[in-house]
Order: sequence, then C-alpha cells, then structure tokens
Amino acid sequence: MSGVEPAHPGQTVSGVEPAHPGQTVSGAEPAHPGQTVSTTSGRERELMLTGIGGQGVQLAAQVIAQGATADGKEVLVFGSYGGMMRGGSTDSTVVIGDQPIEAPPVLSSTWSAILMHHQYWMPLRDRIRDRGLVLVNTSVFEDELDADRYQVVEVPATDVAADRGNPLLAAMVMAGVYARRSGLVSLPGLLEGMRRSLPPYRRQLIEANEGALGAGWELAA
Amino acid sequence: MSDRELLEGSEAIARAAVAAGCRFFAGYPMTPFTELLEQMAVWLPKADGVCMNAESELEAVGMAWGAATTGHMAATGSTGQGLSLMQESLSEITNARLPLVVFNMARGQGDYFQATRGGGHGDYRHIVLAPMDVPEAVEATGLAFRLANQWRTPVMVLGDYYLAHTYQAVSVPPIERGAPERPDWALNGSTGGSGAAKIISPLGSGVDGEEGFDLGAHYAACAAHIEAMSAGVEPLVDAGFCDDADLVVAAYGSVGKFVRYACLRLREAGHKVGYVRPITLWPFPSEAVRDAIAGAAKAAVYEQNMGQMLDDVRLAVLGAAPVEFIGGPSWDPAGFGIGPDINVPDISQRILEAMT
Repeated sequence: MSGVEPAHPGQTVSGVEPAHPGQTVSGAEPAHPGQTVSTTSGRERELMLTGIGGQGVQLAAQVIAQGATADGKEVLVFGSYGGMMRGGSTDSTVVIGDQPIEAPPVLSSTWSAILMHHQYWMPLRDRIRDRGLVLVNTSVFEDELDADRYQVVEVPATDVAADRGNPLLAAMVMAGVYARRSGLVSLPGLLEGMRRSLPPYRRQLIEANEGALGAGWELAA
Repeated sequence: MSDRELLEGSEAIARAAVAAGCRFFAGYPMTPFTELLEQMAVWLPKADGVCMNAESELEAVGMAWGAATTGHMAATGSTGQGLSLMQESLSEITNARLPLVVFNMARGQGDYFQATRGGGHGDYRHIVLAPMDVPEAVEATGLAFRLANQWRTPVMVLGDYYLAHTYQAVSVPPIERGAPERPDWALNGSTGGSGAAKIISPLGSGVDGEEGFDLGAHYAACAAHIEAMSAGVEPLVDAGFCDDADLVVAAYGSVGKFVRYACLRLREAGHKVGYVRPITLWPFPSEAVRDAIAGAAKAAVYEQNMGQMLDDVRLAVLGAAPVEFIGGPSWDPAGFGIGPDINVPDISQRILEAMT
C-alpha cells in the first residue's frame, strides 16, 4: 500500500494535538483516511510457543518479549493456559516489530514457533507459515515434523539444561537459541529481559538462567 | 536499553491512572477487571493514594462517589455485570456533577448499550472511550481523567479481556507523590452551622440563598450540560483505506483491532475494503463515520454481540448507504468474551461475503 508510516495508535486519542495532523482522523473531518496505516507484511514477526504447564513456556515468552522491549522493539504478548499448574496446555503468542504492532492478540498464522512438548501442539501445526522457523525440543518432543515445510531447528533443550544441572532451564536454553536464530533479540537484551521477568523471590536463579540463555545462544552459532 | 516497559494492559492502565492524578480507587474483583484492581492496590499507595477492595460493586461505587465529593480524583470499575449494579449511582453522580473515571473491563461486547446509554434513571450521558490496545489505553486513561475534571462528569474507559491481559511495550507517564490541588467546589468537612458547609447532591445544590431545591432548574442545568458536552467533547476515530473502498467496516475496541488487521491483510490481497473505528463511543463520531462511509457502496458493522453499535452507525449514515451487520456473539466456556469466532480469518471471511 501507500508505505506511509502509521501514526502511533495512541496519537489518535491525545484529545489535544495529534503529533501528525492529517494522519489521524479526529472530529468531523477525516483528512486522509487512506493514510492512517500502512500494511504490515514483512515487518512484524510472530512467535507461537506451545508446551505443557511447568516447562516454562510462559516465562520463555516473557523473557523473549522483555528482551525485545529492552532492545527498543515494539512487542505484544498474549498467553493462555489451562487451569492446571503442571501438565495442562500452555501457549503464548509474541509479536515483535519495529513499528507499532498492528496484529491483534490472537493470531491464526505465525512466522515462527517453539515446540517444547508435543501434547498440545496439533492446533499450532497448521498455523506455522511455509518455511517458518520451528524450534523443537527434541529431548521430549515425540511427533513427526515436516522438514520440507518448515525450517526446523532441533534443540535438545531439556538435555542441555539437565547437563547444566537443572532440566527446568530448558525453556531458557530454547529462548537463547531463538533469539539468535530469529535475529529478533540481542544477547544483552535477552539477559536484561530475563532479569526483568524474574520475580523478586527468584533473584537467586539469575545466574543459572544467564548460563542457560548463553548456552542456547552458543548452540545457535 | 529502551526505557519502555513490557506491561500487561491492567498494569499499564493502573499506572496511567495514578500518573493522571487518580488518588482513590474502589472495586470488587471479577475477571477480567480483577487484575486492574490488584494493580491499583500496588500503585496507588506509591502516590499516597488509597485503594479499597470493597464488599460489592454497590459499595465500591459508593466509596468512589464519596471520594469524588472531596475533590480527590477517584475511579472505580468492574465488568459489565458489576456495572449493572452501579447504574443508580452512576446516574446520580452525573447529576451531582462529579468527576469520576469508570473502568469497564467488559466480558465481550454485549454491554455497548449499557456503556453508551446507561442503565440508570434520568436524562444523562457519559463520555465513553474504547481503546483498541495497550498503548491506546494508556492515552485514553490520561484523557479520561482530563475530561472527567474538565466536564465534571463520569467518563468510562471501556476495555475487555484482551485489553486487560495483553502485554505490550509502552511508555507510561511517571507517578508523582502527593495529591493534585483540589477544586474549590470540593467538600472539606465543614458541617451545618459552621457557615462553610457545602452540599453536593444529585438534586442540585439548593436555591441560592434560600432553603430547598429547585429540581426543575437543576435538571434544566444538567440537560444544558449534557448538550454542551455532546458538542464540546472532541469525537475521536481511527479510519483507513476509506477513500476508494467498496465496503467500509465499522468496529470498536479490541475487536476493532482484529477488524483493522483483517482489513490491512485484505487490502494487501487487493480487496477494496476500508475500516472506521470509533474511539469515543459517546459522543459518537457520527460525522467522521458518515464521511468515512460516504464513498463506499456499502458499510458493515462487526461487533461481538447481536448488533448494538450498529444502531449508532445507521443513525450516522441516515440511510445514505446500506449498513449490514456481520458480527455476532462468540463465547468461550468461561464467558470471558474471548470466543472462537474472534479471529482474523473468520472476520475476513465475513467481510468478503459482505462485499459480494
């Protein structure tokens, strides 16, 4: 479309002066409605994560999203999970871009995916676009993946984490691999994102998480 | 490192409210409003404010009403269900000419009429703002407090489950301690006989210099105020691709973001579709909606209900173009308003069907 940069959505509700008059429509005269937004192909990158409760899927989504935020990117996250602490379905969607995110919180297709476990992954299978980046936790994932259709990156994340002394760090290993392979988050951003994501009563785990993120980053080299 | 933060909508709204001067909040938990109440409890004390977990929505709105009479910027909220209980007070707070911000984290879009028409007695209206996402909600929250003070009226920020629970990278204004200056109409604790007593009542503040009320004069003044607000509050709307559109789709709130995205994708695929998204639901941006639709052969409305904003769009267009309803309710098992039909392919399909 026009290629005109979108006005930030917030600018339309300033109630005083839109930063770019003419690009927003307020009051009686929609000056150039066609220029309010531009289309988004190629500018927003989606990530869908799936796994079972307890694997750290929601935390991995937070760390990646916080990391992208620390890097100055535009970010949107929407998570959903069943009513169980462990073992239930858990999914999250992250959208990262350089411009205000146009995507709504629920998406039907994605540029990339992280598969921590196979149990609830079927709904995601057809949402990954052709040649999509798919990171799979080969330590536990037991299902077929169409390597012709996706760019599959096999990561024995749970084994790598167990070798480092704690299999619960598998999602952090995966986040490290994802950040580097996707090119969406820098390593300093990722580490800062992890520190922002941990609640105060988990501060003692910062070092172990840094190690797991770094190990994932190196695996992706 | 960017100084922006990744915040859940509930936290972003709470912090924007406190930054805008809110110093009192009362509410009763109900999903998806609960997290907003929790975040107000976290952030208000940092600014020397007070957050109360009330025993019911009735009590919450009563507390907020009391706080508002003292000139402290007050807010309350709930879901549409809880707002049902508050309607009497919201009507009377409006007629008492008090500023108040009401956060409605609604379950779906079935409460558009409740939000824009009100369910209380009397000939009153509220300003209603319906942001589509977290950055817009931060702006709308600041605007809500400014408008509430400017017009001495309740202002509603209408959100939903998506808005409350989506995280986005945003900047929120800094929070400063202490209370903003209180207006001179505020009650200050002076009682009858002190010579300094004031009254704030939905029946008016009495007849100057005489005892008793003149309800006719008060209601006439309230009506004049509603008329002034209707004309004086700037209607806000977001629109795109309307100039050469065959079909213009109207939608609001989070669902409006889904519709907007569907239209962007359809445009990329070559379909001549535009969208118009009212941000102020009252005053409804009738002229802008009419202008957005003016060049199109047809308009459509997508809402997650049986057709409520549909009425306002039809009134805006006044028969100049056919307005088809392409929405409909879609519920999840918990009734939170995040049903399976609220997705871009389904919405796109309905838009394409309306174009044929």
